[in-house]
Amino acid sequence: MSRGDLPAKEADPHISGEIGGGPAILSQISYDVRVYRYGDDSGVDPHTHSPRTDSIMKPFLSCLLLAAATLAAPAAFAGAVLDDIKSGDRLICLVNPNSPGFSVPDSQGVFQGFNTDFCRMAAAAILGDADKADIRGIGFSDAMKTLVARGAHMASRSITRTGTRDADAGMTFVATTFYDGQGFMVPKSLGVARAADLAGATVCAEDGSTTLLTLADWFGDRGMAYRVENIADKTARLEAFFAGKCDVYASDVTALNSDRLLAAAPDDYVILPEVISNEPLTLVTQPDQDLESAVFWAFQVMLNADRHGLTSQNVEAARADLGSQPQAVARLLSSDGAATEMAAKLGLPGDWAYQVIRQVGSYSEVFERHLGAGTPFALSRAGTVNADAADGGLMYPYPIR
Amino acid sequence: MGSFPRRLRPASLPALIVSLAALLLCLPVAAGALRWVVADAVWPWDPAALCAERAGICWPFITEKAGLIFFGTYPHDLLWRPCMASLLLCALAVLTGLWLSGRGTRPGAAGLALLWAAVLAAALVLLGGGVWGMVPVGSLRWNGLPVLLLLSLGSVALAFPLGVLLALAREQDRNRLTAWLAACYIETARGVPMLTVLFTGIFVLPLMLPSGSALPPVAAVLVALILFHAAYFAEDIRGGLRALPRGQAEAAQALGLSRRSRLGEVLLPQAIRRALPSIVNSVIGAYKDTSLVVVVGIHDLTATARMAFSDPAWRAQALEGYFVIGLWFFMSCAFLSMIGRRLQRREAGQ
Repeated sequence: MSRGDLPAKEADPHISGEIGGGPAILSQISYDVRVYRYGDDSGVDPHTHSPRTDSIMKPFLSCLLLAAATLAAPAAFAGAVLDDIKSGDRLICLVNPNSPGFSVPDSQGVFQGFNTDFCRMAAAAILGDADKADIRGIGFSDAMKTLVARGAHMASRSITRTGTRDADAGMTFVATTFYDGQGFMVPKSLGVARAADLAGATVCAEDGSTTLLTLADWFGDRGMAYRVENIADKTARLEAFFAGKCDVYASDVTALNSDRLLAAAPDDYVILPEVISNEPLTLVTQPDQDLESAVFWAFQVMLNADRHGLTSQNVEAARADLGSQPQAVARLLSSDGAATEMAAKLGLPGDWAYQVIRQVGSYSEVFERHLGAGTPFALSRAGTVNADAADGGLMYPYPIR
Repeated sequence: MGSFPRRLRPASLPALIVSLAALLLCLPVAAGALRWVVADAVWPWDPAALCAERAGICWPFITEKAGLIFFGTYPHDLLWRPCMASLLLCALAVLTGLWLSGRGTRPGAAGLALLWAAVLAAALVLLGGGVWGMVPVGSLRWNGLPVLLLLSLGSVALAFPLGVLLALAREQDRNRLTAWLAACYIETARGVPMLTVLFTGIFVLPLMLPSGSALPPVAAVLVALILFHAAYFAEDIRGGLRALPRGQAEAAQALGLSRRSRLGEVLLPQAIRRALPSIVNSVIGAYKDTSLVVVVGIHDLTATARMAFSDPAWRAQALEGYFVIGLWFFMSCAFLSMIGRRLQRREAGQ
């Protein structure tokens, strides 16, 4: 049974029952904490309720929460966003308008890049045609606001999944497509081999980004002094660094690799080995369990394709000759396999897994196409967290069965 | 112009020293610019690979990315449409400027209004499509030059009449409440940053509207720009009204003209003529402010230029990208201020 069929009337008493019990437990805990911290009952602590207030607050709170849950339930259970994508026959996907390698329009004005391909992946899985992804370039905070305002279906935009962002209503983090981290680039002439030697350095970083917060944490934790040169425009920031206006350039490691090549003499600069933050760059969708499942499993199809050596080039031949393929491949591609069974429940085209692989490719194919050895970025998955789990990375293909 | 000394001969020794120092400062800059544009240039017919070797301007980048810089992500097989729209809008601006500064045939105020309405409508149809067999193109894909021209000309065209009305409402003394409301509106609009209104229009409004009835971003931005610039135009025109000698209104009244003729045929034409220099000033400001729409996700020329040099193959060509749009803004603003100077000269001559 798909989640869309779940009768709301059955679900509601269950929810209210849980919520009814919630505040009582919470109040008990907070009461204990107060006793523990203050040693007697006379202390006035504005942060905890007295048991008497709780007895009044409890029904009120549970009513409020029930109301909120009832309001939120239709959005959480129905596949309304997925239906909207299918009825409009297009998937609106937000990307960064100018992120080299990840999403940038080519000379014909068509967006290309690593992140762009995950928009195409979702469109191939849901609509059967990767070209039905309506890819729109938009600024970082605007992308999240647009999703919350229901102006787009998903965003593939190098958004770091963090706890507080996850707790925000109006958007859901679905699948991490790239694990990045913040690092430092320094001129060789500075003679610095480790980030720990950077005390007192002037750092070029982007104003208003998490880069600055991470820097503050990192230098603060070590009691090291530093100075930030805030330059919003990336071109100007790099120019300032190459001109020697700051000692260090801080950014995500992926960006550092390609930014280094923009120097007149790239070999004069090194990227320090330390990575000082975790940046799981994650696909975000509007809250809709069917859409989340579709996007999550489409990504798993790409990881599974990697594991079984399927690519956009050979998948057609593999489907034509399923008898010679391992069972896992048959489950992905055959018309009565597990993938087709999933499709019926989620409301996807029956051959969604095949279409994702044929039109977009496997994960490593996408990686190589936009960031790999043949590109200016020359990134390699081997030995990094972006490698397949079998090779010690974090890309772990979930079973499709 | 009159107060500026035209002769080049310096008046005194200090002036001579200052002139020479300025010249010395300018020379290396001019030499560097010349070297970049001419001596070290990679010409359009040179192979693109040469750009990595020479330090000068990289023309292969500009020819390769011209479509992207001027029209962004508009579907490239339909480029004739934004091209036509931009040409129409440019022609409209040039014609109006020349007409205002006293050149060419004058279509008259009503004719001009009609021309503006027709050209703006034509540009909208060309960009949006959806009629006469033209493929519809969503407003988010109207990038670069056409969206810049559409927003700046559209907002000026609609803000100006609104500004006239606001100025009249604030200046009249027959209805105190209207005057007070107009004053309130003008002061509020001039007191709130435009970005605030842009953000509210684009991100808060859709949450309050029932789903499906949301304003497309370009329309929301246009409305915000109109409401804002109207307040500035209103103050310009009010300045012109204030500068009129009292006798003008009294003479018109003594002639027995109706209220409408007094305003429309005696006071407003004089007030607007007096206010023209500051109106031109506001128009240039409005034109340049249009670039602010970048922050709400509309890609004007600066954004498309950045897209062009974010292409992994062309990442070293940032300067060329900014050079192209800098050239465009320089030429268009130079044209606007040329019109402004002409108007001033005509005003001084009368």
